[in-house]
Amino acid sequence: MTNKVSKWILWMVLLAVLAVYPKLFGIYYTNLFVTFAVFAIYSVSFNLLLGYTGLLSFGHAMFFGVGGYGTALALKHIHGLPLLPAVLFGLVSAAALALILCPLVVRVSGTAFAMLHLAFGQLLHMLAYKLRGITGGEDGIGGFPIPAFSIPGIVSVNMKAPENFYYFAIVVLAISLWIMWFFTKTPFGQIQVGVRDNAKRIDYLGFKVPQTKAVVYVVSGAFAGVAGSIYALFQNLISSGALDIFTSFAPITMTMVGGLGSFLGPVLGAAIIQMIEELTTRFTEQVELVVGLILILVIVFVPMGAVGLLQILKQKWLVRSAFKASLGKVS
Amino acid sequence: MDPKTAMYVAQGIHGLAYGMLLFLVASGLNIIFGMMGILNLAHASFFMLSAYFSYQFLSMTGNFWLARLLAPVATAFFGILLERFLLRKMHALGHLGELILTVGVSLVILAGVKIFWGTESLPLKIPPLLTGLVSIAGMSYPVYRLFVIGLALAVLAMMALLLYKTRLGKIVRAAVSDADMVNALGINIPLVFMFVFGVGTWLAGVAGVAIAPILLVFPGLADQMGMDAFVVVVTGGLGSLSGAFIVSIIFGLLSSYGVQFLSSLAPLLMFLFMAIVLAIKPTGFFGERE
Repeated sequence: MTNKVSKWILWMVLLAVLAVYPKLFGIYYTNLFVTFAVFAIYSVSFNLLLGYTGLLSFGHAMFFGVGGYGTALALKHIHGLPLLPAVLFGLVSAAALALILCPLVVRVSGTAFAMLHLAFGQLLHMLAYKLRGITGGEDGIGGFPIPAFSIPGIVSVNMKAPENFYYFAIVVLAISLWIMWFFTKTPFGQIQVGVRDNAKRIDYLGFKVPQTKAVVYVVSGAFAGVAGSIYALFQNLISSGALDIFTSFAPITMTMVGGLGSFLGPVLGAAIIQMIEELTTRFTEQVELVVGLILILVIVFVPMGAVGLLQILKQKWLVRSAFKASLGKVS
Repeated sequence: MDPKTAMYVAQGIHGLAYGMLLFLVASGLNIIFGMMGILNLAHASFFMLSAYFSYQFLSMTGNFWLARLLAPVATAFFGILLERFLLRKMHALGHLGELILTVGVSLVILAGVKIFWGTESLPLKIPPLLTGLVSIAGMSYPVYRLFVIGLALAVLAMMALLLYKTRLGKIVRAAVSDADMVNALGINIPLVFMFVFGVGTWLAGVAGVAIAPILLVFPGLADQMGMDAFVVVVTGGLGSLSGAFIVSIIFGLLSSYGVQFLSSLAPLLMFLFMAIVLAIKPTGFFGERE
């Protein structure tokens, strides 16, 4: 009972902090937070594949970038498109890409899966880079109109104000996060974990492994698309850089640093990486050196990530307190 | 020879030279993967490191050939250090650990190169023996590119001999199929793997010194060549030396003729080729491993 109450209090505090965040920290940190939130959702969608289904992808930027391009192109070419349908465009285009690819990719796993994604990811990056007429290449599509968030007749909020955009982004991303969390808690989510641990047994139990993978794949792609879409709106720019290999590796490192297989691990990882990058750019030019060293140190000393570390510490604390309690009983 | 055929031939040799360079980089990557199952994402960084080393040694000693010889060895030394002290611990974690670790190492190397040598491009002088043009059947061609083709072929022959004609090669091949058993027979497997990793990075180093005079030496070198080499290995089949060789040549020709006929869309050809091959056969042309 108290546990439930304290959980509620925790949620309320979190909500309150999120609500007053822009007022407290000012515009710079607000924008930083939006970037963090975008990458957190992107990493969580990636972790649906890696952590929950055991599929490592080297080309997750495909969905991120295509989601961004979907939104940007829709806003550029369709006059007077409202905000939410624009985001929906990003989601649908990324999901459509996943749907097109899934007959090919669900047959394989392991290294072949990773390599196939590298191939398609690079192909898309090159296409975006070279087809300047459509995508704007390296310069990208910028300056497309950002429509106001409006429910006709009730409210209309100007999204060009960073503060308003913050609330919009946070709400959209939180809903995405919740849907993904819910997705992993369904019986279907359990099958997903089963596929990761022992695909053959899941097959024997009568579940369809390729179809399961396909559904997870499309869901993961769709939410990476949402992250990309919000990112494009936030920057008011999407370029071929959003599809490149570094964008593909970002969620891998964030997931590893945060902790593989736990739902909130990637969020924590995104926060850690974001903070490290922010702090290092302030003190030194050598961001690569610091990020590289941190990756090495994490993988050598804390391979289970931050969440794993927290769990171990908690375990130790529990054991110690239990030990003390038993000592107390004896004496 | 009429100009059109001359153009075709020249582009062909051009593609061949690039393909050979690709093969040099890819073969090291491939050997490390095929023998040890490690996907070394820092491979291209070693390649770049070697190019910088050759620049450094050249400016220190002034002897082109000495720099040529020393730079790959120094690179291999760093590779062995990486294997011995970091990668060896990663086996328990599987592929993911190795991937993350090597990405971290590549970032550190990139940063190190920027700190020591700066970000601007460094030119490398070729000795007079290798400069100039040679005329073959009425058309002239840079000697250095022919030298690169010869070098790559020599390395290929050497690798084939080492793997298939020596006792060491036999041990290495046995270790690939069953490392535990070979270990039980009294052969020091970790040492063999360290050696293999050293050879792999040495090959990257050779490619690095070979390419340094053609392209300039700059921090983006790893990205440019590394991605291509990676694509070659993946398309040819992870762990297959002959697959890497054939695909390198195909890619070299694709890129040189592609530039001729499609100009800006040429880089697409390579990735399209990879996507098609992998869609049909996910393990690559000659790959067996998953």
